[in-house]
Amino acid sequence: MPGDAGESAADAASRAGGVGAGGPPAPEAEAEAAELLPFLAPGARADLQAAAARHVLALTGSGPGRTLLAGQAALLRALAALAAAPAPAPARDAARALVNLAADPRLHEPLLAAAPALPARLLGRALDPQWPWAEEAAAALANLSREPAPCAALLEALAAAEPGEAGLGLERLVRALCTPGYNARAPLHYLAPVLSNLSQRPAARAFLLDPHRCVVQRLLPLTQDPDSTVRRGGVVGTLRNCCFEHRHHEWLLGPEVDILPFLLLPLAGPEDFSEEEMERLPVDLQYLPPDKQREPDADIRKMLIEAIMLLTATAPGRRQVRDQGAYLILRELHSWEPESDVRGACEKLIQVLIGDEPQRGMENLLEVQVPEDVERQLQELDRREQEQCQREQQEQQCQQELSPEPRSEGAAPT
Amino acid sequence: MEQPEADAASEDAMDSFLEKFQSQPYRGRFLEDRWEEEFEKIPLFMKKAPSEIDPQENPDLACLQSIIFDDERPPEEQAKTYKDEGNEYFKEKDYEKAVIAYTEGLKKKCADPDLNVVLYTNRAAAQYYLGNFRSALNDVTAARKLKPCHLKAIVRGALCHLELKNFAEAVNWCDEGLQIDAKEKKLLEMRIKADRLKRTQQRDIRKAKLKEKKEQNQNEALLQAIKARNIKLVSEAASEDEDSASEGLSALLDGLSLENPYGTRLSIDDQGRLSWPVLFLYPEYAQSDFISAFHEDSRFIDHLIVMFGETPSWDLEQKYCPDNLEVYFEDEDRAELYRVPPKSTLLQVLQHPRYFVKTLTPAFLVCVESSPFCRNYLQGRKVHQVK
Repeated sequence: MPGDAGESAADAASRAGGVGAGGPPAPEAEAEAAELLPFLAPGARADLQAAAARHVLALTGSGPGRTLLAGQAALLRALAALAAAPAPAPARDAARALVNLAADPRLHEPLLAAAPALPARLLGRALDPQWPWAEEAAAALANLSREPAPCAALLEALAAAEPGEAGLGLERLVRALCTPGYNARAPLHYLAPVLSNLSQRPAARAFLLDPHRCVVQRLLPLTQDPDSTVRRGGVVGTLRNCCFEHRHHEWLLGPEVDILPFLLLPLAGPEDFSEEEMERLPVDLQYLPPDKQREPDADIRKMLIEAIMLLTATAPGRRQVRDQGAYLILRELHSWEPESDVRGACEKLIQVLIGDEPQRGMENLLEVQVPEDVERQLQELDRREQEQCQREQQEQQCQQELSPEPRSEGAAPT
Repeated sequence: MEQPEADAASEDAMDSFLEKFQSQPYRGRFLEDRWEEEFEKIPLFMKKAPSEIDPQENPDLACLQSIIFDDERPPEEQAKTYKDEGNEYFKEKDYEKAVIAYTEGLKKKCADPDLNVVLYTNRAAAQYYLGNFRSALNDVTAARKLKPCHLKAIVRGALCHLELKNFAEAVNWCDEGLQIDAKEKKLLEMRIKADRLKRTQQRDIRKAKLKEKKEQNQNEALLQAIKARNIKLVSEAASEDEDSASEGLSALLDGLSLENPYGTRLSIDDQGRLSWPVLFLYPEYAQSDFISAFHEDSRFIDHLIVMFGETPSWDLEQKYCPDNLEVYFEDEDRAELYRVPPKSTLLQVLQHPRYFVKTLTPAFLVCVESSPFCRNYLQGRKVHQVK
């Protein structure tokens, strides 16, 4: 648990020389941290290297620890190198330290300043079928790519990785994500949130939605992957971002991609529809077995609903979504849904499906001109909703931080 | 230069040669009336080759053939010749001959892997059009072993899997092909088609499963209902044993799904009441009546009133009327008869300790009370009265 690691790291850090709570790191702490540097250098003794890496990992478990490291450019650089170094280097711990650091947005600038090649190097490791710590590399990338600057850097790294046709780097990423057993030692679930973050950029979406290729289609079955919430979440996030491209809606909803059934399937339960209702549903939603489970993660359910909502922005899109029987599934979802905000989103979508068609000039809801005062009101409402959500979220643990495993020996410096 | 004497001699020879032309027919000439046929026989002018080359009929062609298929030539050349021959047959849609030709080419085991890849792939195509999809798959697999990136082999393989309804495999092959050429149109189209068919197939499986489950549940309910009423069933091959009777029951559970020879089956309504298909036999005239759904709570007399509202055609003496009919059932084990009061319900009779339902179709005998036939029929037999 991140909480536990934080305490042991704080202990270790305080033993290392006392860290002020929230204030700038004490000079003694900085000196102590700098002392670690020679042990992290390449060519250092393996056991010392490992111990130093463990110590740094412990530091990354706490806010103050990370603040301390933010000022240690050389340390960060050494860490970045270690994370990609072959055995017997402590690449795994170094990578996990990077994961924790990257989870903290304050660390992005120092990290990239200290090690500008970090995204490219992590990418190389994440996509290397033989690299045992590819999952950690992917997790670090997932955290890094949440911010726009590192995200852009990553996209560039991808493009540079495959000279020639643009987007081939992304193809490698998609292939690594979609090929079962791509890396025998790492499941690569975290590539999904990486893709999701990348899909915030138009260039990435253009590749994903290229009608002359088969890219987005390969992502669709992953929405049902039972093994990993991270994977499902990343894929659904990617699909939702793609749904912002309303020029592609017809293609997405048409037979070449047929995205809607894949968005509805995780929302569907073991419903016993009548024969007539059943025939109206898409093939993938018909005759579901009595043990069919809905998507257990509420956030993913919400994203799925958001994606479908985006697809209803245009009139033809609305028509297609209606015709493919979305209402039936959403109706049942609504009576089952335990989370109030998901239920709210579901209600809004049902309203769109059963409501009247909007007036002229409003056919494409993504392109409607909103008058300024209405805009302000809506933003205010959004802000309040955001605050509410954030309050709830802060009470939960941050899910994307990997923490060092609790060890029987304390993370004490040697 | 030649001497004038030789000139003169050769001129003479020339003259006599030329003269020959005018007097003697040219041995190898065309016959005027059959010149088109003859034309066709010359290899250079043939429009269509004969399928078999007979050296007697077509010596020129046979000659050419032996030159082409000379074993002395290096195997690569021979294999290439066979490949070309196969391609020619393929163009003519003579797929069997194409397969033979490609096979001969492969037999040469020449050292050129590209040539062998083409031979395998082309043979696979020919096999595909012959409907031999598994053989075709073997061939493309062999081709891919030699050259993993050979797109034509991958396309053909995906097509085969489509025909064999291995839709998931077809999608996989398409994806592999798309890794080599991400924009290959044929593969893109096939993948969409295969994926769609795969998902439809999965739906069909789910549908069949649910239907089976539903039927099973229905049959369970029926069996439960019968058991609850203590009605005894007997299957075709039943013995007198209680134990094998229960075995027979599980066979009956399957039998419940099948319709009886008359095309109807036992059913249960929303209130949980059963309706049986019931057979009425009239031994006097060897006739029968079939009630497709006799509700267990309805009485015999009510059915008889409907059935004998009009005199049946076989009732020669016009004596079969609802109020003078007697209903019996037979205990076959003991060869005894039981007379059923017409006002009883079906359920009451079925629950009689000596009533055994055969093949899920209760049967009853009907004859006219006190008629000579009836008296005769009952004579010498033990008859019980059901209360």
